[in-house]
Amino acid sequence: MPDHAHTPHAPFQRKEDRRLVTGHGLYTSDRTFPGELHAVFLRSDRAHAQIVSIKTDAAKAMPGVHGVFTAEDSKAAGMVKVMCMLALKGTDGEPPRVPARSAFADGCVRFVGETVAMVVADSVAAGLDALEAIEVEYRELPHVVDASRALDAGAPVIHDAAPGNLCWVGEAGDRAAVDAAMAAAATVIELSVESTRVIPSPMELRCCAATYDAANDHYHVYSVTQGVNAMRIQIAFAAGIPENKLTIHAQDVGGSFGNRSPHYPEHCAVMLAAKVLGRPVRWAGTRSECLASDYHGRGNQIAGKLAIDKDGHFTAIQLDWVADMGAFITPAGIASHTRNPVVLLSGVYRIPAMHGRWRAVFTNTSPIAPYRGAGRPDVNYMIERLVDEAAAKLGMDPADLRRRNALGLGQFPYKTPTGTTYEATDVPGSLEKAVRLADWKGFPARRAEAKARGMLRGIGMATFIENTGAGVFPKDQVDIEVDANGMVHAYSVAHAQGQGHETTFTQVIADAMGIDTANVLLHEGSPEHTLIGNHTGGSRSLVGAGSVCKLAGLKLIEVAKSAAAAMFDTEPSQVDYAAGTLTDRVSGKSTTLAELARRPEGLKTQAEASIGSTFPTGCHIAEVEIDPLTGTTEILSYVAVDDCGHAVDHTIVEGQVHGGVLQGVGQVFAEKAIYDEETGQLMTGSFMDYTMPRAGMLKHIVIDENCIPSKINSLGAKGVGEAGCTGSLSALSNAMADALRPLGVPPMDMPFTSNRVWHAIAAAGGLK
Amino acid sequence: MSRIELTLNGKAVSADVEDRTLLVNFLRDAQQLTGTHVGCDTTQCGACTVLVDGRALKSCTLLAVQVSGAKITTIEGMANGEALHPVQQAFSECHGLQCGYCTPGMVMAVTDLLRRNPKPTDEQILHGLEGNICRCTGYINIVKSVKRASELMAAG
Repeated sequence: MPDHAHTPHAPFQRKEDRRLVTGHGLYTSDRTFPGELHAVFLRSDRAHAQIVSIKTDAAKAMPGVHGVFTAEDSKAAGMVKVMCMLALKGTDGEPPRVPARSAFADGCVRFVGETVAMVVADSVAAGLDALEAIEVEYRELPHVVDASRALDAGAPVIHDAAPGNLCWVGEAGDRAAVDAAMAAAATVIELSVESTRVIPSPMELRCCAATYDAANDHYHVYSVTQGVNAMRIQIAFAAGIPENKLTIHAQDVGGSFGNRSPHYPEHCAVMLAAKVLGRPVRWAGTRSECLASDYHGRGNQIAGKLAIDKDGHFTAIQLDWVADMGAFITPAGIASHTRNPVVLLSGVYRIPAMHGRWRAVFTNTSPIAPYRGAGRPDVNYMIERLVDEAAAKLGMDPADLRRRNALGLGQFPYKTPTGTTYEATDVPGSLEKAVRLADWKGFPARRAEAKARGMLRGIGMATFIENTGAGVFPKDQVDIEVDANGMVHAYSVAHAQGQGHETTFTQVIADAMGIDTANVLLHEGSPEHTLIGNHTGGSRSLVGAGSVCKLAGLKLIEVAKSAAAAMFDTEPSQVDYAAGTLTDRVSGKSTTLAELARRPEGLKTQAEASIGSTFPTGCHIAEVEIDPLTGTTEILSYVAVDDCGHAVDHTIVEGQVHGGVLQGVGQVFAEKAIYDEETGQLMTGSFMDYTMPRAGMLKHIVIDENCIPSKINSLGAKGVGEAGCTGSLSALSNAMADALRPLGVPPMDMPFTSNRVWHAIAAAGGLK
Repeated sequence: MSRIELTLNGKAVSADVEDRTLLVNFLRDAQQLTGTHVGCDTTQCGACTVLVDGRALKSCTLLAVQVSGAKITTIEGMANGEALHPVQQAFSECHGLQCGYCTPGMVMAVTDLLRRNPKPTDEQILHGLEGNICRCTGYINIVKSVKRASELMAAG
């Protein structure tokens, strides 16, 4: 036992921290089951090939092996579907093409990492030994790993059901109005960008387990998740079983960022094995498996045009968007690539004419699902890069160009030409705050000083707006009850993966009820409470379930007043409530929540609300310095001013911004999923190849708030989970463009690795 | 199979293990100490870091048989009853964790860092965290946690 002094209590401590810092969390991979077996997967080692045959007899005969499963088994079990929760219709009137997907590749493999077969054995080691005894004969097919190339005439076709590899095509806005505005514009800026394909890589490796209760024909699935409701619907759909035959269990989830929201083939696979073998079956992926087969994020190639009149006002914007879907569709379908960008096509600006075309494309790569921001950072990146290129061309200060075009506080609610109604926010106010905090005016002197040292300094700004998730369920419900000791318990199906709901949601309830947070507990993922409600995603949980916690607390007070009135033989209107105590105004008699809870009927209620999207905004400014001799970049300062509406806990808000910004830093400077065009192999298949951001990539961050409470939920919250990503891709990339522009380096895309930056400088003729 | 004997969180443990058993699997599977996590296959992420005779080592890259005779401390052995270890305390106070998955490895790595260097500079802290990946916090609050832990330990 280390013999240091121990501190008795902390000024700040999340309710979840005690178990997490002492190693007593319960993550899915920590669970064990009596009589359990272990699953391991044989995965495709090629990008596109016909499966001629799979021979499993030798593997089945290996010691410790209980079963070997392939597509024959999953097809026979009816596990052949992928859920696509948002089937938006395209310009051809068609929803996205959703190719069938069995739990195992059926006759054809379409990306490296796809599940081909599963061995279930006494131990992982025995399973791995048996995997090597499976013989698969493949007949190679031509592959395509780049989304634009997948659209080329003559590109290999990945699914017969999707000719030309086109999953979906849609348009939004008024093309004719945009064409007219472009023709009349004083200046038109054109720019193509790529929001690169990245691999979300939460630290907990993807894992799941299943047990099957034969007596009740009921499955229990244990899984990483963003919410048990969405997971149950998806898995039941994929497994072809009724939802009431499936219970999802989860407690602690080791990060997600969108990646743990969808169902995966491995869920059905372990369910199948648990049923057939009559034993619990668990699987934990390796990092290499996860990098290859976790759903990836972003992967958007966007061409943009911005029209500007002679006074520097934006008159039109047009985007042509190619979204890489990977080899299959995932449950959020095309929404994050298409719907969110359509909603946000105006950015924070008044732009009278807007038009965009979206094409979602299949490639021989791991499927793409929402990743922190889910299209919001991508569309902001396009818009804000156009704005900065426009400022450069016009010789204007990028802050001034934004001041001229940004929607002001007096212009809300504002309906954009694509039909979104933005809530009130104060972007110009955030901009002025950020400009002050970043000493924007002092930048030229800092650039000159850096130049004298032979360094390239750049500053970049991003203003942004994002729509929080509207939710896929019609409402969010929260159960609340008091136990015999007076402890208040709340139940929600939003599921934290690090956001600290147990701290913030209980704070909301404690505030509503005038009681100590120590007397409130939050339970998420409690299967016995069958609540309607959304999973955590799209920065919506405080907006949705969190605000319903306030309603639940207030409603519980009213229920308690009625109960106390009956006890006092008076009217509820004659009962005062304060801090957990109820008093009869006339007689002076009093009772407590605990006493009321001890009645046979207990003390409990349920609250609910239907809550759509809110609109967090912000202004972020980044300052960078490039060493032209090596191409390495240091981020010297980062300022984030956000409007997240009402903040329950500023420390947690700051933590969300830190994490979001660093994920943006990762994408801008380091991360990229790379598939080799010739072989279709994933070149970034381990943490030795895929660059995860490390400590020190971002040393300082200045955070401030400029919050206008939302009017659509009882808390006034707007959400903050994704703001850091949405602001940082643009601010950092604009800073890099600003640093490189004096050398004549043409606009370049992320990732700004030292190698790519050095080559870009060299290609432009080097230091002048 | 080999017989190993070691001191695990202050208790004597002896066990028969397959020679190929990694220390992390011995801790998680045989000893049910699931606070030590696995986050990669290539010794990059540090989620599995434990103290071996006081030194922070990645338990995914050690065989259980290699540590026979050693004193091993895992995250479960850090708190003293209700009282958190100063490094655990600092991570919580400074919001140095979100999902908490990397946290046990971080706490062990930082404990060793501060043992070797009780008053590290910012650069020394960043160097000390190179072997540990966190996907949630952006590391800003982890660096703060290290500084706070240094203060708490100096205070006593």
